[in-house]
Amino acid sequence: MTVEEIRGSVGVSNEIDRFPIGMRVLAVDDDPTCLKLLDGLLRKCQYQVTTTNQAITALKMLRENRNRFDLVISDVHMPDMDGFKLLELVGLEMDLPVIMLSGNSDPKLVMKGITHGACDYLVKPVRLEELRNIWQHVIRRKVESKSQSKSNNQDKTNNGGEGGQEAGSGDPNGKLNRKRKDEDEDVEDNGNEDDDPSSQKKPRVVWSIDLHRKFVAAVNQLGIEKAVPKRILDLMNVEGLTRENVASHLQKYRLYLKRISQQANMVVAFGGSKDASSYMRMSSLDGLGDFRTLSGSGRLPNAALSSYSPSGMLGRLNSATGVTLHSLTSPSMIQPTHPQNLTNSIGSLTKFQPVVLPTPPNHQNTNLFQGIPSSFDLGHLHQNGNKPNTQIPDFNPIDESRIFTGPSSFATLGSQSSLKMASSESFNLVSSSSSFLDVPPPMGENFHDQLPPNSSMKYGYSAATNTIPGFGSNINSTASVPLEAQGQRHGQYGKPSYSPYSSNAFSTLAAAAAAPPVNGGGLGGAVSQANDGICGVYNRSNGNGATAMQRSRETERSSTELKMGSGEEYLLEQTKLPSGFVANNGYDSLDDLMNGMMKREQDPTIMMDGEFGFDPYSFGSCIQ
Amino acid sequence: MEQNHIKKQINSARNSLFQQGYLDEQFIQLEDLQDDANPNFVEEIVTLFYSDSTRLIRNIETALDNYPLNFCKLDDYMHQFKGSSSSIGAKKVKEECSQFQECCKARNTQGCIAAFRQVKHEHATLKRKLETYFQVSPSNSLYNTHIISRQGA
Repeated sequence: MTVEEIRGSVGVSNEIDRFPIGMRVLAVDDDPTCLKLLDGLLRKCQYQVTTTNQAITALKMLRENRNRFDLVISDVHMPDMDGFKLLELVGLEMDLPVIMLSGNSDPKLVMKGITHGACDYLVKPVRLEELRNIWQHVIRRKVESKSQSKSNNQDKTNNGGEGGQEAGSGDPNGKLNRKRKDEDEDVEDNGNEDDDPSSQKKPRVVWSIDLHRKFVAAVNQLGIEKAVPKRILDLMNVEGLTRENVASHLQKYRLYLKRISQQANMVVAFGGSKDASSYMRMSSLDGLGDFRTLSGSGRLPNAALSSYSPSGMLGRLNSATGVTLHSLTSPSMIQPTHPQNLTNSIGSLTKFQPVVLPTPPNHQNTNLFQGIPSSFDLGHLHQNGNKPNTQIPDFNPIDESRIFTGPSSFATLGSQSSLKMASSESFNLVSSSSSFLDVPPPMGENFHDQLPPNSSMKYGYSAATNTIPGFGSNINSTASVPLEAQGQRHGQYGKPSYSPYSSNAFSTLAAAAAAPPVNGGGLGGAVSQANDGICGVYNRSNGNGATAMQRSRETERSSTELKMGSGEEYLLEQTKLPSGFVANNGYDSLDDLMNGMMKREQDPTIMMDGEFGFDPYSFGSCIQ
Repeated sequence: MEQNHIKKQINSARNSLFQQGYLDEQFIQLEDLQDDANPNFVEEIVTLFYSDSTRLIRNIETALDNYPLNFCKLDDYMHQFKGSSSSIGAKKVKEECSQFQECCKARNTQGCIAAFRQVKHEHATLKRKLETYFQVSPSNSLYNTHIISRQGA
């Protein structure tokens, strides 16, 4: 790749040839003084600067036109949205390099920036010298994407031989790790409507909900350990998608799951009821178990938990959620479902993993409910039709944008089966990081449903670094709680499942807590528990909606909002949901979806608090 | 000659601000950003800082009136305030901010109140000094022109 090529691919600005001069930077900072300073400094470097003091505006601008900017600089501390969340979203949706800016040089924050995908972290006050070099991040991405695309092209021609190599060598992982932040959604544009012919950038693949669902399904089918890009690609059987696309998406997915699990772990730790590992185990065992535990009391015997993997997750989520809710700014709760459990669960079903998103304090209620749906069974049981999704709606308001539709994979995988399993299997993926939820529509959509069992939800989940070991498979359940699996597929996106679930969940949880989660029925109970824990029921199918919601919500809450769509069915329903959910695969659809969802959820006015017995559960403790 | 004299005065005023610790190198960065395209950059950004920081100060004062003190929130506000102050090179203000944050961490109510008084004091002092400085500083090209023409007249 020559310098000219690199330069040429930088953008459509007139100064292409003079890169880095004219590099288009978007600066986001709520502090007007700092913003003005940034503006002045960047102009001095001869960059083309656009400033905004609102993260939401920034996101909107980026979504409108991905190719309008080369680099984003964002403050960490902002009132309308956590900088890390924005960071994740931008990374997921637009794959642009993002530099974090903060007045705080605490290494923990710097670390957090890194785990969220920042390519640099600057401390205020910013100096000119520091800004002079930021163009390197743009170039780096281009270089890496080019090399990816090259190998990608080769891959395509060697389709047959590649799978073996990939599977055996573990290379994809290596590659993924290497290219982690610089993944480039390669040339193969999979339904990317944003293709800008005038831009020399490679069109990015848009991971629509459907696509993501297929992805998750493929991953689940393969099993998280065996899910290598080549095989996933083959399974997905999508034209125009390259192995590179899948590889980069897989990496993100894994990170997302990981984050969720970490979050869950954090929550666990926070809650003090169980250590992360036990959490994970529990969750994997049976959703119920976890929930119990999550409830903060850790009362549930692990045994019980074991039966429910999904519930376990949920449970964990719940507690984690609760904990995270207060403590975490990022709502997304990552359910660290035990990887093992996950795998088990995954195997069994796509498990809807209720994604319990740690709902931000405000939405905590909603999130919890959201999670509940995961206990699909419960939903059925309690289908009182009451608050159907009241919870869910709540979900939306909160940063649900993160809703992980990740679990879509769940849905796809065994949505049917998982449905039954739902109770046990549904994992509520708590997308701890709201960012995940907000995962740019494409992401959200994709991931929502498709949380591959094992994929650590790297999206948006800023979960603690605990990765749940078998999380991969479990992730399915955890990640996107296939609430739908619960069979709540009522037209509402996950709502139906939620409501019955949530209400039931809580009550059921209490009751079910004792009883080991039984598939189907048991799950319901467990699920409800899980729901409790799951703050952000993740409506995967609503991915769109969820995402939409999430996005609109912004705020710290987002972290918990992982709403996991329940299973495929759910997803399907959701996508078809006319009600408020926009089953689009596009960005906007997610927002709309989310909005729709939120509205819906809000209707039932299900107050999670107290209504579903949340209080007794961790949720209560969580929500403070 | 007059102009040289004035310039000297301006320089010494500026130097004293640095020497007395009111300003640090960051302020020089601001000055570097001032050019023909942005002739009043420094003054503009300082003005912006003062109008925005007034709001923050009010928030902190309100928060300090609520007992028991919400140290997290206070620390949060101060973090923002410190960020802005450091961006314009307000050295003493920044130092007092750090002191305030220490008191927050230690959950020291009286300490916070006292530290905040210091912050406000430094904040106001710097404002006065900078206002004076801008009145005479050559950064304001219009002003400078005005002075020169006046001198010449």
